[in-house]
Amino acid sequence: MPAQPLNRICYVEDDEDIQRIVRMSLERVGKMTVEVVSDPMLAIERMIAFKPELVLLDWMMPGMDGPTLYRKMLETPETKSLPVVFITAKASQRELDELRKLGAAGTISKPFSPKDLPTQIRAIWSALP
Amino acid sequence: MISNDTALSTNKASTGISLAQSADPRRVLADRVEQIYSQMPIGIAGSFVISVIAAYELRQGRFVEIVIFWAGLVVLLTAATVGLYWSYRRSATKATEAAQWLRWLAISALANGATWGFAAAVFFPSHADEQQVFLAFLLAGVVAGGVPMYAISWPVYALYAASIVLPFTYVLATFGNRLFAEIALLIPAFYALNVAVAYRLNQVFDSGYRLRHAYGKLTEDYTALNQRLEQQLVELEEARRQVEASGRKLALFAERSPIAVFEFDAAGRVLTVNPAAENLFGFTAAEMTGQPGTGFMFPGEIADAVASRWQAFIKERKPIFGLRYNNLRRDGSELNCEWNLTPLVNQDNQVVSVIIQGRDITQQLEAERMKQEFTSTLSHELRTPLTSIIGSLQLINSGVMGDIEKDTLELTTIAERNGQRLLDLINDILDIEKIESGKLTLSPEVLELGELITESMALNRGYAERFKVKFATSGALENVKVNADRKRVHQIMTNLLSNAVKFSPEGGTVEVSMERVDGKLLRVGVHDQGPGIPEEFRGRIFGRFAQADMSYTRQKGGTGLGLAICKRLAEMMGGGIGFFDRTGGGTIFWFDLPVQE
Repeated sequence: MPAQPLNRICYVEDDEDIQRIVRMSLERVGKMTVEVVSDPMLAIERMIAFKPELVLLDWMMPGMDGPTLYRKMLETPETKSLPVVFITAKASQRELDELRKLGAAGTISKPFSPKDLPTQIRAIWSALP
Repeated sequence: MISNDTALSTNKASTGISLAQSADPRRVLADRVEQIYSQMPIGIAGSFVISVIAAYELRQGRFVEIVIFWAGLVVLLTAATVGLYWSYRRSATKATEAAQWLRWLAISALANGATWGFAAAVFFPSHADEQQVFLAFLLAGVVAGGVPMYAISWPVYALYAASIVLPFTYVLATFGNRLFAEIALLIPAFYALNVAVAYRLNQVFDSGYRLRHAYGKLTEDYTALNQRLEQQLVELEEARRQVEASGRKLALFAERSPIAVFEFDAAGRVLTVNPAAENLFGFTAAEMTGQPGTGFMFPGEIADAVASRWQAFIKERKPIFGLRYNNLRRDGSELNCEWNLTPLVNQDNQVVSVIIQGRDITQQLEAERMKQEFTSTLSHELRTPLTSIIGSLQLINSGVMGDIEKDTLELTTIAERNGQRLLDLINDILDIEKIESGKLTLSPEVLELGELITESMALNRGYAERFKVKFATSGALENVKVNADRKRVHQIMTNLLSNAVKFSPEGGTVEVSMERVDGKLLRVGVHDQGPGIPEEFRGRIFGRFAQADMSYTRQKGGTGLGLAICKRLAEMMGGGIGFFDRTGGGTIFWFDLPVQE
């Protein structure tokens, strides 16, 4: 379990409505600092600048999907050790298992409950080594 | 059949003697006896006439009384012999008791000879010279005449002749006349000669009869053999016609089949193909025949893998169904095909040839892929807006965004609830689709069922409170281990509990029970106080989109898919599902899970 409580989150998501809901949920309910990135191509750059403690990735995004972005993060020294949680509406059990093997910290399925989202993410955070 | 052939060729190869030896000796004897008896009338008549002439000639000597006595003896004997002949003719045992009939005949011949011997012994010394010559002539005649009569059985003849010759020789030898004494010396030689001739004739007759029988038997065998051969030829012809007909039928099946049919040899070369196979690959039958399948049917990169798979198949000699490969057409395009391989194995357990049937499933796979893509897209595209809708409403309704007016809150609550209902419907449809396409996989683990059920009840308590319904346990929830998928057990429980809540009266209680059935299954029961299941609905309650009354959908919510999904899930976990009426009103829905020992 990490020493400090979870505070800084970077969220990569192309859907603006969901961005807003997640931001409200994490900021208002979870009292966290959130950096939302709409364009996955710019995500790594923004992560390096923002220095999040945990990254939330949407699965399906135009240009680059979540798993691909995750693999790119693993190739980048500054982001490769960041814990990643996927938010997905479609992944099959096999794909989820594969990502877990790669080192993903957890998955949250869509639609999630914004009321419970911070609790879910904190549960994943506290389960980290 | 084979043994007959062998017997036949042995017979053909050997001589007449060995053929004759194969005749049945009893039948040969019966034939000989028959032959002797058939000559009897001539013998009886000849003997009687000669006797009458003799008696007439001899009446003028001394001892007329003896002549009359002798004549009476002859008449008696003739009558007895006629009687014997008569009995033989009428007898039913001519063949089976031939030896007995021969003995009777020997007695008759002995008696006949003895009357002549008597005549020689008594009349020769007592008569004048001319009569002696007459008698000697008669005696020589009857001895010689006996040869054709009795020679078929030489011992009979020997007995007959001895009974004449012995007394006559004795009389001649003791007559006191030198000439007669010399004749007496010659008579045994004459007797021996006659017996020898009779013996020889006997042999000739014997072998004649044997040959006759052997040939008769041979002819019978040949006739029987011929008949059998003819019968077999007819059967063979019929079998050939049937084989030809079924061959034509099979050829027609293959020719008209929309499925490609190949026959391969064990080495993997094409023997025959049907028109559908020609169409599938774009080669003519003549072009494919004799070619190894790996040479033209598969893209180069998988040819080696296919070849080693073929080797394994020929070694195992077991049919393979549903083998999928990428295949290559003549024009270079690739097809996805599904193949069934059936080896034809001979008595020595060797593969003679392999029947291969295949069909192009490219379009089917494409359709499956598109359906999957559609389902997955639908799932994503529907859930994404719902995430926004339900998420926004939840944030508003939870009060995180600040206080809202009561009427507004009521409306946003309705919106959230219906959003949730829409989401449930989508989830249920996706579940059913996954179950029916066989894509739903379970993650079974050993679980404490009591704990799991308590957890489910806790998760659904909030929902029950909205309907002012309480949850309770009926009896203790034992902690028995089951092997099941945690998420799916929760899904079943949530379905049963929410149904029970929806149909319970306000202030009612839904009870949950647990019990063992048959020792190997654990049954969880959900008892409600609802109106019960209408009779006409009971048969289809676990079907898809099953609801007792369409108006319930509006009143009670729900998709009508829940129980269908629960049934399939329970079955996939090795259990079952059902319901029965609760005494005193209401229904008990139950599901079983196998106990982990």
